[in-house]
Amino acid sequence: MANDRTDLMQGTLELLILKTLSHDSMHGYGIAQRIHQSVDDLLKIEDGSLYPALYRMEERGWIASEWGVSENNRRAKFYKLTRAGRKHLDAERANWDRISRAVTKILQTA
Amino acid sequence: MRDLTRKLFNPIGSEAIEREVEEELRFHLELLTEQHLQHADTLVEARASALRRFGNVEQVKDQCVEISKRKRPFTRALKSLLILTFLAGVFLCIFGTELHVFRVGQMLITVAVMGRLFLYVRGLKPAGFRPKSDTSSPLMLNSTAKTPASLFEADNL
Repeated sequence: MANDRTDLMQGTLELLILKTLSHDSMHGYGIAQRIHQSVDDLLKIEDGSLYPALYRMEERGWIASEWGVSENNRRAKFYKLTRAGRKHLDAERANWDRISRAVTKILQTA
Repeated sequence: MRDLTRKLFNPIGSEAIEREVEEELRFHLELLTEQHLQHADTLVEARASALRRFGNVEQVKDQCVEISKRKRPFTRALKSLLILTFLAGVFLCIFGTELHVFRVGQMLITVAVMGRLFLYVRGLKPAGFRPKSDTSSPLMLNSTAKTPASLFEADNL
């Protein structure tokens, strides 16, 4: 079991969520769907794990939430990116680029 | 009597928070079940698939409730008040020239420490001592997938 699973870096899920919310406000199910569609079957993500991440991100002020009505007329909680969240996304994206470039470089030379 | 005790020690809407979290998770699970129903033969099968994809519902709920409680304005204000009380107590103990002022300082420190301890113990949940399931590692590389590098590009998200 451990062989076919590799834990990813801390903060990766937050980065995916921030990027997903950068276009539009969405409810948790919508975010999960969008991430699943985007990463295809490259990453295994349990939908439930999004929620503690969403709550933590809201606590940090990166996203804000409000209750609204979903596309199928049901009450749902929608999340949107805040200005601080957008700033954090830019910073984390730059960070991710730097790390991946550095690791690629090492792998190519070693 | 039990309700009254509960209300006295839980005056800041824990139940409302729990209900809200439950509603949010239920919404997700219902949509997930509907989605799986397109490929499953029975509702039971669809529900089971939805639950598999969702992960540990109780653990997720506990975590969300805990975080929500932490970020409530009331809790934050109470914690700030306790810090101020503690500082005031320390100030009186250091600069108080008379015995009764020193005693008041000691009392303030005791109240602040006990209050903080109470908040800490109140925040402890049996769930926190359970062994963590896979949900603690929510994101994993799927090594069986075949995959074009283009999927990592930012515009695909």
